[in-house]
This record gives sequence, structure tokens and C-alpha cells, in this order.
Amino acid sequence: MSFIDGNQNYFQIFGLEPTYRIDTRALAGKLRQLQQQVHPDRFASGTPRERRLAEEAAALVNDAHTTLTDPALRAAYLLKMAGLEISANQTTADMDFLMQQMALREELEAVRSASDPERALEALMEEVEDLLHREEETFTELYESADYPAAEATLARLQFLFKLRHQAEDLEAQLFDD
Amino acid sequence: MVLLQISEPGQSPEPHARKRAVGIDLGTTNSLVATILGDRPRAMPDAAGKVIVPSAVRYTSDGVEVGAEAKAGAAQDPYNTILSVKRLMGRGLADVKSLGEQLPYRFAADKGGMPSIETCAGKVNPVQVSAEILKVLAARGEEELGGKLDGAVITVPAYFDDAQRQATKDAARLAGLHVLRLLNEPTAAAVAYGLDREGEGVIAVYDLGGGTFDISILHLTKGVFEVLSTGGDSALGGDDFDRAIAGWIIEQAGLGVDLDPGQQRRLLDAACAAKEALGTEAEVDVCFGDWQGTLDRALMASLLDSLIDKTLRACKRALRDAGKKASEIDNVVMVGGSTRTLRVRERVAEFFGREPLTDIDPDQVVALGAAVQADVLVGNKSGDDMLLLDVIPLSLGLETMGGLAEKVIHRNTTIPVAKAQEFTTFKDGQTAMSIHVVQGERELVSDCRSLARFELRGIPPMVAGAAHVRVTFQVDADGLLSVSAVEKSSGVAAEVTVKPSYGLDDDTVAQMLRDSYTHAGDDMAARALREAQVEAERVLEALIAALRENGAELLNDAELAELEQGMLKLQQAHNSGDADTINNEIEKLNDLSGEFAARRMDSSIKRAMAGHSLDEFEGGE
Repeated sequence: MSFIDGNQNYFQIFGLEPTYRIDTRALAGKLRQLQQQVHPDRFASGTPRERRLAEEAAALVNDAHTTLTDPALRAAYLLKMAGLEISANQTTADMDFLMQQMALREELEAVRSASDPERALEALMEEVEDLLHREEETFTELYESADYPAAEATLARLQFLFKLRHQAEDLEAQLFDD
Repeated sequence: MVLLQISEPGQSPEPHARKRAVGIDLGTTNSLVATILGDRPRAMPDAAGKVIVPSAVRYTSDGVEVGAEAKAGAAQDPYNTILSVKRLMGRGLADVKSLGEQLPYRFAADKGGMPSIETCAGKVNPVQVSAEILKVLAARGEEELGGKLDGAVITVPAYFDDAQRQATKDAARLAGLHVLRLLNEPTAAAVAYGLDREGEGVIAVYDLGGGTFDISILHLTKGVFEVLSTGGDSALGGDDFDRAIAGWIIEQAGLGVDLDPGQQRRLLDAACAAKEALGTEAEVDVCFGDWQGTLDRALMASLLDSLIDKTLRACKRALRDAGKKASEIDNVVMVGGSTRTLRVRERVAEFFGREPLTDIDPDQVVALGAAVQADVLVGNKSGDDMLLLDVIPLSLGLETMGGLAEKVIHRNTTIPVAKAQEFTTFKDGQTAMSIHVVQGERELVSDCRSLARFELRGIPPMVAGAAHVRVTFQVDADGLLSVSAVEKSSGVAAEVTVKPSYGLDDDTVAQMLRDSYTHAGDDMAARALREAQVEAERVLEALIAALRENGAELLNDAELAELEQGMLKLQQAHNSGDADTINNEIEKLNDLSGEFAARRMDSSIKRAMAGHSLDEFEGGE
């Protein structure tokens, strides 16, 4: 029962190579293929046992999909596969990065009171995208060269940046959606 | 093949006989039932040709009335006539009291924090009231299809929380229905349209009924409906339009606010009539008592716009959650009678920048889609080309220290889903734990909806912090939560006792079922036997179909023989006429077939994993 016992890793379930850069289109297509086979609706007239197994298998497929789709979760999962203990909120002792974090947070807080909030937020978001892009490159390189401790430090920075991007998007929605 | 000896003519249904399946839209204001006739879904009419059953139940000294008859009695018998019971489903007494001004009923607290309503026929709870409506719809289906129903798909608003869904399922159980699936109303509507058009793209389903508003953003490709996000307001609908217009009449006519229930009803009827007339007329004369006035479209628009604005704000949020812009929506589906109001169509068209789809009757579209899905799930039609992937509408969380809610499963997560969380003891020798599950987006437990409290018992005594209890929260395809727990170091499964905050526990449902039998004068033993037989037939048929498909491939001769022996025993028990014997054999056969079920699942997965269809290259966002 290789699949149901969860012995397959999430990348194997989706037929993908275990890398940070993945083809999200292939992921979406494979999700549908897998759910077509295991979704409990396919066993609506099945035995109670089949229905329970289908619930479990479909839940596992969904969890795998969620993990692989979210870049921060995907990066954490890759490191877990490499045997590292990863928490949802990695901490860092990198002073330079801590300073940069503070500066970015202040920049976000200043958007509301800026003379042109839209322009200020846009500039911040560009900066975040730029940093994210670089950290993602770094993570990929470090992971592929099996330098896991260094990759883990990069993950902390990635998690912070994704969170900041999310906060910036929320602010954008609050400020300009009406 | 040996298997064919098991099923003798007349004892078990033909495997290929067409099953009787229906789709039911259990609405706030109106309900209806649909099925597949020929190859198209059709709403089923009553003897007078009406498909709509008003969701009204009236209790009288000599029985229960449901539908138009009950609704007609609402004005003179408001305390015994229950309207809009859907608003009470899965709600606590306090929630219901906050709706109180709109509801004239005499409420009393019932077991499990659920409200019950005092009527001349005694106390009734919302689940029982809904079951009365479902019984009428089921009877209509049985009459038209000529026999007991094999299964039903029942629709619920996408925004319904766990308690509301559970209450709906309990009502179906009480009405004697086998629920194939609880389906989100917007998804059902998309199914009805998608089947006709075989569309692809992003769909917004705007569902404005009598009492609820739902917006869902769906992604549709090659027959797969994926809900990207849902939102809405469970207390906003066309009834509020009527109230807004009624408010205008009160103001214009200089009426006081102290109208009696009968006058209120007539006022709302006048408002509703004016609203409907403006669908075809540019202006309409309105009369109430001695007063007479004119309402035109522009004036009505000004009365309704603030309510419509509320729906559009929810649309905006749903789009954001789905990561889509209004301009990326390929189709807008209109559902619910209130979308007949022209102003709604205008504003929705303006918001999404395209004309909404309105060619399927907005009152029927949900039931029609549910009938399509029921037909697939019951096995009449291959499900290869259709799969509905839904999401959980509200986050599930747990109460932590300081009354904070910690989210375990986030909203808009695709279901089914399972998430595990670990807990530990804080006292030496502690053998029990209490866990409070809530649903909602807010940080404080007091701002979320309390779903249930779980008692975990039987944890092996250890020093504080040594026990690691792993609690798994599972949400099934119907959006219903179940919980299991295990202590990791010992492997001991903790016993989980569910106490729903505003619902019925299993024992209460069972008791209500027993009560309803005695009330109906049924012979309980005969009923129990019939139910056991139906379940036995279901299990046997499922196994026969499974064995046909890949029994030879997945089982060796000895395993096959053993399984067939178990099936034969169940068939014999089925004929024995004893419910306990049958249930006993069902249990045994379920255990016996567990390994086969697991292999089938594994083989399905392997097929899917090995498959490289075009989907992989063309599919996706």
C-alpha cells in the first residue's frame, strides 16, 4: 500500500522531480488526474471501507497539492525531505537581514501616510519581488548543491518575504479596491 | 463466474437497472426536487403542475401541512407555521434570538443548545421541520420514479458551516433519505450550465435567494469544477428587498411601526408584488390600506442599491480570495429568484463587465445541477467526465490559551482534507483532555462559531508533557468534520466524544428517528429490517461491481473464494429476515473486503500517477 501509507513523497505522488522550481501547470493537471481516480464521489456507491479509503487518499492528494503549490511550504518540505526539522516560522540570527526586515516593515507602515500611497506601495512591492527572486535563486542553488543548513537560512528569509508580500497585497486591497 | 450465482432474480436488484436518484434544492423560501428524465434534468411537478414547494411547514392539531397550503396559513396562524427554517439550521438559541424580530415563533432551549419552537403539536426543532419538507419532496420523487429512492444529492449554501451542514444531513436521515452528497448550491448551478455548454474558464456564480446570498468563483475545465473561493452573507436576500420597499411604503403612507403580524404579511406581499411587476413594467401603482403611490424602476433602484452593494462587496472579496480580477471571469451564472430583479442584473453585469447567464430558470438551476450529480453518484452515468472539487468555506480552529483561536484548516482549502495537531498533558497522570473546535476567521474564540467540544479519554497516565496526543481533524467531501485521536508513544487511541455546540448528537438523532416511527404507526422492527436489507444490497452491489472491474487482477483464487463466501453469507442473512444477523454479516464482509478495497485504491492511484494525458500539458491555470 505504498500510496495510502504515505511512503511516497509529495513530489512522487505528482510525478515531479524534487526541486524548488516546479511546473505549476503540470501540478494542476495532475491534481485533476489524481482526484478523478480517488475522490470519494467516485466511490459514492462503493462499500463503506472504499469510501473511507477514498477520503484518506483524496485528503493526502490535496495536502500534497497545497504543499507543493505554496512556495514557502514547498521549500520547507524539500528541507524536511533532506532530514531537517523545519518550523512554520523559521527564525534567523542574520543581522543584516534583520535590519533589512525592519526597514521593509517600516516602509510598509509608511505607505498609508505617503503623499502618493499607490506609488509608494508599488515601489515597495517591486523591491520585495526583486528580493524574493534573488532568494529563490539562492535557495535553488543551495538546495541543489545539498548545502541544507545554508538553504534553511534562506528559507527564513523567503518566509519573511512571502509574508511581507501578502501583507502588501492586503494593504493594496484595502487602499485601492473601493 | 461464481458471482452470478449470488444474485438470484427478484432478491437483489439487477446491477444495471436504472437507479432512482434525485437532486434536492432545500431552499430558505422555496424547495424543489429534480431528476434525470431521458438525458436531461427536469424539475418534478406536483399533481397541479407546480414544481416549487414553498419551504413552509404548518403544525395543526391533526397533522402537518407542507408547502403552499402551509404558507397560505402563515398570516392567520403565525405561531404554528414555520417559514424560512433554513435560517435556523445549525444555530443556537442566542443566534436565533438575534434574528427574532423577523421571526414570530415562541422559542425554547432544547437539548444541545439547539432552539426548538413551541407549536400546537408540541416542541419541534429546525431539523425536524426541514425533514418534513424533505419527506414531501422525497414522496414526490418516489411517486414519479415508481419506488424507494436509491439516493439524493441535497444542496446547501457554499457558506454553510459545519453545524449547518450537519443539521441538513440529520434532517435527510430523519426523512429516510440516503444522502449521496451535500453539494454547494453554486457548484450545482455551474454543473447545470456547464453540462450544456461544456465550457472552460472561470465562472462566478451569483446566488441571491430569498434569505441568503452566496458568491462562488469556480474554475471549470474538461468537466472538472473546482471551487476557487466562496463568500456571501447567510442573512441577506430578496426578503430584504421586500422589507426595503415595505419601509418605503410605511414612510410614504405615514404608517406606524406597530403593525400586527397579519398587516406585516400583507405589507410585505404588496412590496414583493411591486418588485416583481417592475420586472416587466417601467412603473407600478402600489396600494396599502387607504394609501396609494407609484414606484418606478429608478426609485426602486435607489431603495435596493445599498443591499446590492453589500453583495458586490462580497463578490470583490471572493475574487481576491480566488486571485482573480473581475475582468478574468468568463461567465457569470445567476441563481435564485431574486436575480430576476432587473436592478440586480444591471449591477452584476456592470460589476463583472459582462451580461450574466440567465437562460436556465434561476429558481430551478440548483436542483437541476444536483439531479445531474445524483445521477452520476448513484451509478447511472459514468463519472469519468465530471468531478466536483469543493473547498471548506470557513477556517476550522481550536481554542488555545487565553481564548485565542488557532487555525488548523484554513478556509478555501480543497476538501476532503485531513490535518493533524499534537497536544500534550500539563499534569502528571492526566488521562483526559478537553478540546474546543471553532469555525471562523477571527482571532478570538468568542468571535468565532463554536462547533463542538471533544473529550479525549483513555490517555495512558504519564508525567506532564510526556504524552503526545495526535488529533486528526478530517473534513469529508460534504464539508463535515470528524475527529480521531491517538497517543503517539503508546499507540493508544483516545476515545473521542463529540458534543456539537448547536446540533444533535447521534443518540438524539436515533431517538428522533424512533419517535417518528412510533408517531407514524410504523412497525419499528419491520423498518429496521428493511433498512438493513437495503444496506446489504448496497454493499453486495458495490462489491459485485468492484469484482467485475478488477477482482481477477487484484485477488488470488483463495482470496476471491473467501470474499465470495462472505458475500454468500450476507445474501443468506438478507433472506433470513433478521436485522441483527444482516448487520452482523455486513460488518464481517466490510472487514473481509478491506484489503481488496485498499488494493483497488492503490491501483487507481498508480494508474493516475502513470498516466500522462494531454491534461498535464494543457491543463492548469
